[in-house]
Amino acid sequence: MKIAVAVQRYGADISGGAELHARYITERLARHAEVEVLTTCARDYITWRNELPAGDDTVNGIRVRRFPVSRPRNTDDFGRRSQLVFERRHSMADELAWLESEGPTSPALIRHIRRVRDAFDFFVFFSYRYPHAWHGARAVPDKAVLVPTAERDTAAGLSIFPAVFRSVRALMFNSLEERALLQGVSGGPIPGVVVGVGSEIPERTQPWRFRKKFHVKRPFAIYIGRIDENKGCAELFAFFERYAVMYPQGLDLVLVGSRVLEVPKHPRVRYVGFLSDEDKFDALAAADLLIMPSPFESLSMVALEAWALGKPVLANGRCDVLRGQCVRSHGGLYYETFEEFAEALYALEASGPLAGPLGRSGREFFRRHYTWPVIERKYLEMFDRLKREPAPAHAVPLPGWLARRRRNLRPAREIVDAVPRGPVVA
Amino acid sequence: MADFSVRSDSVDVEQIMRQIRARIREKRGVDYTEAELQQLANVKLDKFLDPRGIGSDLVDQFRRHRVVSPEPPKFVFEDTTLYDTHRGLLRTIRKILHPILKLFINPNPLIHAMHVQAQVNAEFHRRFRQREEMDPLFYEVIHNLVLEVTRLGIEVHNLKMRTESLSSRLDFDERRGRSLEQVVQYRPGALQRPAGATGQTPGPSPAPMAAQPSEGGRPPAGVPEGGRLDGGTGPGGERRRRRRRRRRRPGQTMADAAGASSAPHGATGPAGSAGSPGPAPADGESDGPDEGASDQ
Repeated sequence: MKIAVAVQRYGADISGGAELHARYITERLARHAEVEVLTTCARDYITWRNELPAGDDTVNGIRVRRFPVSRPRNTDDFGRRSQLVFERRHSMADELAWLESEGPTSPALIRHIRRVRDAFDFFVFFSYRYPHAWHGARAVPDKAVLVPTAERDTAAGLSIFPAVFRSVRALMFNSLEERALLQGVSGGPIPGVVVGVGSEIPERTQPWRFRKKFHVKRPFAIYIGRIDENKGCAELFAFFERYAVMYPQGLDLVLVGSRVLEVPKHPRVRYVGFLSDEDKFDALAAADLLIMPSPFESLSMVALEAWALGKPVLANGRCDVLRGQCVRSHGGLYYETFEEFAEALYALEASGPLAGPLGRSGREFFRRHYTWPVIERKYLEMFDRLKREPAPAHAVPLPGWLARRRRNLRPAREIVDAVPRGPVVA
Repeated sequence: MADFSVRSDSVDVEQIMRQIRARIREKRGVDYTEAELQQLANVKLDKFLDPRGIGSDLVDQFRRHRVVSPEPPKFVFEDTTLYDTHRGLLRTIRKILHPILKLFINPNPLIHAMHVQAQVNAEFHRRFRQREEMDPLFYEVIHNLVLEVTRLGIEVHNLKMRTESLSSRLDFDERRGRSLEQVVQYRPGALQRPAGATGQTPGPSPAPMAAQPSEGGRPPAGVPEGGRLDGGTGPGGERRRRRRRRRRRPGQTMADAAGASSAPHGATGPAGSAGSPGPAPADGESDGPDEGASDQ
């Protein structure tokens, strides 16, 4: 079996959520099939500048073909077009222009997909909202498998996407909430299965090594990820400062990851920077719990890693996916207000009665759903099934030139807001 | 923490969250009852903030600044605004001629700049309005803070008064304790009084004497094996006599004083001074400590 994985960026040092997800899946599928990665020369997800050389490359033993991005993103233009399609009535042409403006636009990549369509059994496209996935899935609908990595953001309400969701062979969802969202915006069922992604969990961790290396003595809660307002860190800092006043003997907060937002100077908040995987897992093992303050997640890999190590998670309850994962796994608590944050954090201290049972439930949840053999089996079963079933005829064609320019589409925000919120409890 | 009911490993996150929320509600209930919250919401700042007393013109300042600014003119600039007209034909002609116009100038940066400016204006006004809407909230917050500070002030005042009351009661108890110690200490003196002075049976009662400690807490030195204490001779006896003389009140005879000090044999505590002319409990409570203090 030959599989092509198309993703917006790819590299061993590229650590975005969807990109890391793509790399993990690629490396795992490579054990069962011949896999090739089709991607762009971009490294930066803001500008999509061509920074890596075009042509063939090898990353961890996987063949990677890079194609140049035709133009970097103009952030002003993208902001203006986003405002138009998200907030006002607009046309399909406006949405297509938004998609091009978002980038990374690589006509060479799409041409290549068309050219080699017969050489591969399946094309796995990552991240529905980027041009490579939209154009690529339309170019090879009968072989396209889409991993949408969708969060509850406004772009999901654009009208250009449901047709793609319905025309691909299958969608590999990260969570039940993601599937509910995409079915909601599509106005009906779409083919697919909830899979998610595994993680490389080390056999053994050494918490004391982290404590010794970073001189951390007190018990602490940990946040791992980009320290950014969009990830809910500003709210986390505000809540934690109040918690620290309320519980002088409570947990400290340790922050791991790249810093976009200023970390407050507080004696109980510690920023240790970006860590290697070894240090990251040591830190996670040393922590009492993991805090996930992000209001938008399609699947939090770090939450899965915490559960794999038997650590409970305290998640932002406004994120349907995280809340749903906590409820389904019985591996964590969630908060929406400061009072809930403080009470839940206090309850989850390792010395309390909840940390142990929640951690164990989380570990069991990870073992049942997110270990690599489970994930690989779901992908392979899906490919087998798709091979057996007849492929649909063609992608849904775009409307005519005039119809595309008719401003009769509702703002995307209205459409997303109309989709019911809340976790999906299976 | 003990509130959470977790049965072995079968945890139910939603149930735990319900318990957490119940705890939060309970805590809020302890801090403020519904009636108190209602009261806090209804009471106005003016009632608690007396500018004459506190020296603040906070209320006036808030009132002065609570003005609503007029709505600025709204200006929306889109990519079609330059060519807009209410005449449909003219609009079409302009659209047709648009490529020709672009041969001479590039209107796109202008359109973009104006569009951005319109957004900036709208954003500025939105924030300004938000700030204005926040002012009453700040007013309310300050109001509640003043209310709480006032309440705390009253509480501190009450606590001070309670502390003073407690310290005076403690002082009284100490004095009373010393007074009682004195009464017990002078019981041997009663044994030394002349036999006919009170009409009681003369002679010592050795058993209590032997048990009575000295001033230093040790058994009295020089107490003979038989228990007889010769209080009338020696330096110790002289000292006791001096004390007894000092304790005697104006108008009180030696015999009265001896009778008073012998009374505890049959009575207890200050009531033993019932033989004295003054009111018994008051005398026993007020005079005793002074005497004890002078002795020590």
